[in-house]
Amino acid sequence: MLMRGVFTPVTYIRRQVFAEVARLAYSDEDPAAIEEIPYRIITGEVPLYRDSVFKERAIVGERVRLACGLGLREMDKPVPISKGVEECAKPEKYYEPPLVNVIPFACNACEEKSYFVTDNCRGCFAHPCIAVCPVKAVSMVNGRSVIDKSKCVKCGRCAEACPYNAIVKYDRPCAEACGVNAIESDHLGRAKINYDKCVSCGQCIVACPFSAIADKSQIFQLIKAIKSGQEVIAAIAPAFVGQFGPSATPAKVKAALKQLGFADMVEVALGADIGAVEEAHHFIDSVPEKQAFLATSCCPSWSVLAKQHFPELAGCVSTALTPMVATARIIKKEHPTARVVFIGPCSSKKLEASRRTVRSDVDFVITFEELMGMFAARGVEFAELAGEAPEDASASGRGYAVAGGVADAIVSCIHDLYPGREVNVDRAEGLANCKKMLTLAKAGKRNGYLLEGMACPGGCVGGAGTILPINKAMISVKQFQEQAGIQIATKNPKAQETAE
Amino acid sequence: MKKLIVEVCVCTQCVLNGAMDIIESIESLQKLKVQLRLNAQIQVVTTTTLGEGKHTCAAPVVAINGEIIEHADSETVMSKIVALTTKDVKC
Repeated sequence: MLMRGVFTPVTYIRRQVFAEVARLAYSDEDPAAIEEIPYRIITGEVPLYRDSVFKERAIVGERVRLACGLGLREMDKPVPISKGVEECAKPEKYYEPPLVNVIPFACNACEEKSYFVTDNCRGCFAHPCIAVCPVKAVSMVNGRSVIDKSKCVKCGRCAEACPYNAIVKYDRPCAEACGVNAIESDHLGRAKINYDKCVSCGQCIVACPFSAIADKSQIFQLIKAIKSGQEVIAAIAPAFVGQFGPSATPAKVKAALKQLGFADMVEVALGADIGAVEEAHHFIDSVPEKQAFLATSCCPSWSVLAKQHFPELAGCVSTALTPMVATARIIKKEHPTARVVFIGPCSSKKLEASRRTVRSDVDFVITFEELMGMFAARGVEFAELAGEAPEDASASGRGYAVAGGVADAIVSCIHDLYPGREVNVDRAEGLANCKKMLTLAKAGKRNGYLLEGMACPGGCVGGAGTILPINKAMISVKQFQEQAGIQIATKNPKAQETAE
Repeated sequence: MKKLIVEVCVCTQCVLNGAMDIIESIESLQKLKVQLRLNAQIQVVTTTTLGEGKHTCAAPVVAINGEIIEHADSETVMSKIVALTTKDVKC
């Protein structure tokens, strides 16, 4: 969370890579020209960020490969950046797991979680740090407190007891951001993702201050699909409002997408409306008689966490289609030959769209940040555009973008459909908090509840692929909710039509 | 109280290069009113017409009291604003 809302060189390079890859995809240049991209982003001979320009360019090269959907190179083999680019320059999805990658030589090999004594230590007379340690790991050496790491059990008592705040807890930012403890270390101490645990929320990507983690993108292939003349329709997630700047009103985003070559844009909040009504009925029919509680399913990282880490609770996770899939199916029903692109705030939707059951519904998934790269590559200026605002969804469907919004939408449907029914709600944002909530549920303390889980702090507006600072994004979503002609999902005729 | 107008370009290039985060940093100065001894009201105006042409090379672009800053970043913009709005302390 620390770096969110702060524009750093890491953000700059990440976005430049998207813009350059998009520019190349739109041009008719030989795809092998991706070799030139690192030189366009890292110019001159003087390193700005790392110890040499060669390393900077090599790392940008890896990011370029990932942005094209290609895997990382083996750094001990003579492999050019462009290896495999001909095969991936196709108008269809090109994806090979893993989605989220650590670029090993960009990783700083930061030390794993530990407590250490800073220069604030005054070597005080009381030295409570020693007295509170249960394993005798703290001692005074040369008038200063020292922690023996081989003994330390990382309980944090010494840090709490120090009157000078001289002892700090330290963790690798990637590991700190990961709510499922999926960050491990390789033989050189560099971060390594345990893919059995990872749920692809993408928070490590935006937490790494060394720009060492990135996910694979599909913009290269998407642009090729648009250029090949296919009918490509955008399904845009509710968190999109305001993401592209204050000039980019929802109406202008729709017009801008058309300028990029998209045939149309549909709000995924429509799929949220359909899901909210279905989950409202499901809750009343099944909780608590058939299942102890109902957990929402729209955030794939949260639902994968629930199913993988708490398999005994898997039956309590909603089986309603996620807003992305519901919206994609509506689009495909009306336009059977069209390609559907989900444009959203996060990485995990890329994984959801690769599932066997979803593959035919959603053809591509890109993030807001990646889309911004496409807008920049094409020189799209929102101020010059005009169009009609989308009116696909209710205010409550649009609220799915913000933590608490999903549960609010379902509860308002329950109140409308089953007046007088009270619903207990608990919710969590951030995977570590989600895990705590599920632990309570497992212990039977959430029976009869509706549980909303959001992998990202703040909800979807806090996703790893967003552009706007989270607090601003929440305000934008709220304003767009207020503009909706329909207040709750049950009153949305488009959603009712599909449900029937 | 005097007013300081800070114009921030929000064209596509400028937003890509962090214009929204610059706005956030300018607005954050209000919370430091006391520490910074601010004597002016800072008003952020978003625009897309700063300077000349497209901001392909100059983004992000900000103007403080009409003075244009190219390749703006949060730290430069905040320090310029603070220099212009801090009360003089007479010893």
